Amino acid sequence: MNCPEWEERIALYGGGDLPPNEMAETDRHLAQCAPCREFAQGVNWSLAIVRSAHSEPIPPAAFTALRARVLEQLARERRPPWRLAWIVPLVAAAVLTVTLVLPRRVAPIRTAVTPPPAPLFEPVAPATDEPITPKRPPRARRRPKPRAPAEPLMVKLITDDPDVVIYWIPN
Amino acid sequence: MEPLALLLTATGMDNPEDRARTVAAAKAGDLQAFELLLRQHERLVLATALRLLGNLDDAQDAAQEVFLKLHRNLAKVQLSGNLTAWLYRVTVNVCHDHHRRRPETTAIDEAGQLPGTAADPHQELADAERKHALDLSLRRLSERERTALVLRDLEGLSTAEVAAALGSTEATVRSQISKARVKMKKFVDHYFRRRS
Repeated sequence: MNCPEWEERIALYGGGDLPPNEMAETDRHLAQCAPCREFAQGVNWSLAIVRSAHSEPIPPAAFTALRARVLEQLARERRPPWRLAWIVPLVAAAVLTVTLVLPRRVAPIRTAVTPPPAPLFEPVAPATDEPITPKRPPRARRRPKPRAPAEPLMVKLITDDPDVVIYWIPN
Repeated sequence: MEPLALLLTATGMDNPEDRARTVAAAKAGDLQAFELLLRQHERLVLATALRLLGNLDDAQDAAQEVFLKLHRNLAKVQLSGNLTAWLYRVTVNVCHDHHRRRPETTAIDEAGQLPGTAADPHQELADAERKHALDLSLRRLSERERTALVLRDLEGLSTAEVAAALGSTEATVRSQISKARVKMKKFVDHYFRRRS
């Protein structure tokens, strides 16, 4: 090609992308320049080749896979609230267990704890101007009253299904 | 299937009103309506992504991302009313992001991998040659040139639509397209002359 300055304009001409005045100008040039006509034919030919290659169908399996992936992802994004629903009764049961059962078991152990021995020497407080308040006599620790044997604890778990109620009786 | 989806499947959803109703239904949470949108536009998104990225696996990843974005942005799409333009713009952006995340050499490594569909072995060979030429010539273009050429010459958008999809001016797009066509012409000449 002898007219490199026409290359890009001819490339646009081939695809019909030139404004009308430039289109006419390019027409006139092509009419008198054989190498540019050949170049223009080459542009059209290469465009035809790539268009025909692009228009060939993509395998249907690729679309099926794409659809499945997208819909699966959307379904997964919707799922969490329902998937976590079972946690609510479980947490409720755990809270009930902690509040009702554990205090009963821990209470007797607490009574067995003896107070630490009194120090041999009372620590001497530094001299200050503040009035010294008399110490209160230590309180006698109350012994817990012996309890009557507790009734067996029963936890009732209510599920979403009205026909299903779970009773739990811990030892 | 919902009555709306059934109706739109039967009519092919060519009517903009049908499309608007489908977008509204999908926005309201109707997955079947969204699947209908997906079926209507999957070729547009996947074929564009395939040409921009050069291999089917990456194109499927990109297309999946585009449709998930569509699902999250149905309200915006409903307001703009031009779903096709929105999809082209998002597909181009997702593919550009993909390029940034992955080096060019791995992105177009498996060029020409689509299986042939012709029954005649000679025809199949010719098809494969054309596809190979297409993929290799696209590799030789800059990202902007490739995108402009894919949208204008392969997807058939107007220069104005390409400019809108790329967030660019028509003059810039014309310049990119002309450069891309010249490069492609030279490559295709060289490719087929060498093989003949």
